[in-house]
Amino acid sequence: MSEIQGSLKMITNGSVLLYLIKGLGFTVVIAVFAVLLGLVIGTILALARNYCTSKKTVIFKWLSTAYIEIFRNTPLMLWIFIGLVYFPSVNVSAGFSKALGLSRTEIALLIKGIIALVLFTSSVIAEIVRGGLNSIPKGQFEAAYSQGFGIVRTLTLIVLPQTFRNIIPTLLSQVITTVKDTSYIANIAVAELLGRTFQVIQISPRYTGFTSQNVSDVFVLCGLACVMYFAINFTLSCIVRRLQKPKVRKPVSV
Amino acid sequence: MIRLENVHKSFGDLEVLKGINLHVKEGEKVVIIGPSGSGKSTLIRCMNYLEEPTSGKVYIHNHLMSRSRRAFINKIHSSMVFQQFNLYPHMTVLDNLTLAPVKLKKIPRKEAEQTAMGYLKRVGLEEKAHVYPTTLSGGQQQRIAIARALTMQNRIIFFDEPTSALDPEMVQEVLDVMIELSHEKNFTMVVVTHEMGFAREVADRIVFVDGGVILEEGTPEHFFTNPQNERTKAFLSKIIR
Ligand SMILES: Nc1ncnc2c1ncn2[C@@H]1O[C@H](COP(=O)(O)OP(=O)(O)O)[C@@H](O)[C@H]1O
Ligand SMILES: [Mg+2]
Repeated sequence: MSEIQGSLKMITNGSVLLYLIKGLGFTVVIAVFAVLLGLVIGTILALARNYCTSKKTVIFKWLSTAYIEIFRNTPLMLWIFIGLVYFPSVNVSAGFSKALGLSRTEIALLIKGIIALVLFTSSVIAEIVRGGLNSIPKGQFEAAYSQGFGIVRTLTLIVLPQTFRNIIPTLLSQVITTVKDTSYIANIAVAELLGRTFQVIQISPRYTGFTSQNVSDVFVLCGLACVMYFAINFTLSCIVRRLQKPKVRKPVSV
Repeated sequence: MIRLENVHKSFGDLEVLKGINLHVKEGEKVVIIGPSGSGKSTLIRCMNYLEEPTSGKVYIHNHLMSRSRRAFINKIHSSMVFQQFNLYPHMTVLDNLTLAPVKLKKIPRKEAEQTAMGYLKRVGLEEKAHVYPTTLSGGQQQRIAIARALTMQNRIIFFDEPTSALDPEMVQEVLDVMIELSHEKNFTMVVVTHEMGFAREVADRIVFVDGGVILEEGTPEHFFTNPQNERTKAFLSKIIR
């Protein structure tokens, strides 16, 4: 039996394949969660940075600016390690741990990684939202003010809905980036796709019938991970491209 | 109704309004004319505090305007029509018209929609209630914007060059709506425009602004037959062909 045939036995093994597919599931769920929570935090940061300009509120502008710039200009990996040491260890219930199929220690580590990912991603999304806010014409604010809306309802009823609609393609692109960013968590926890791929490579002899690892194990498993990441992200890219295609305007009738 | 007392406005080092005193009476139709860059927009925008004067006082219905009272005063007293229409592109025409009445005046949606349909009919665009504004021509958008201003049922309407962004063939349809409005005795209209035919027909008073001050004011009759100020004469001779 050749080495490559041995390696291929791993991914035709149902339990290994299921283990990796679950890893992909974690990857996607973590990325979507990070972007959604990042959108909430990022929106608050963006609003504070843009509109807290009066004397009483300007402190929030500076805090949010500092936050955004610090996280945007430092590597995610750094925050994952800082998180590993300094973030609190969350103790989840045994039931929850069982439902996820992860040990409680593993979950505690994973949560630290996710917190770091969310902190980092929200700084990136804050700038995406701010770009969206800044592209809303001033006239939209003026129309709202002239009608008697204050700043809060001008933002919530008129400006933010347009902003979110405009940034949907950019946010989807951010999901693509964040899917890739989840792989940094492989450094501290085994849950998402890359962490699990490394895990299987470590114990490959159990499945291949060889007494030690072969280079072909890495080739096959990393190849599979590659295909999985690609399938998800390429689909998203296609959606983004379709959304960004300029819409054909209905001809204006006089 | 509207009273400006010694209003100054500077943008940085540039002093745009240099002491404006103006009193617009209830029901009066005032047209503001003047060369481009003379401060007309800044002046009308000070009236609803889209610009906050650097000094001086603005009263609307004896309420002293301030930054913090802007929302309240605009809500109950005035509406504005802009050169660029500024309709809300993420809402249908009908939602554009009902947003403020429903959210600010707490009018039940059904009732607000009925009122809105009435105003759409008045500007001749009933059938556009459920389309999005960007699918409409400039003239249609501006008529919608006027209908939106009317739905708040405020007595004061400000117009800042409402026809300047329109293709020539659409100017008249908008002016017609404004002329029709001007027949309402209790509407107070302040209009910045270069449409001298409109000014002549509608204005109770024309105000000529140049260099950030009011140089001359009077009836259309006065302006078009017997202007006094040299700059007024020069301006009018350029604009009336
Ligand atoms: N927000 C602003 N910031 C700086 N300068 C401004 C601003 N708005 C207007 N100006 C300046 O004020 C002057 C008068 O402008 P404006 O009131 O728009 O004139 P008009 O409407 O008569 O053409 C112009 O020189 C213009 O460049
Ligand atoms: Mg102007």
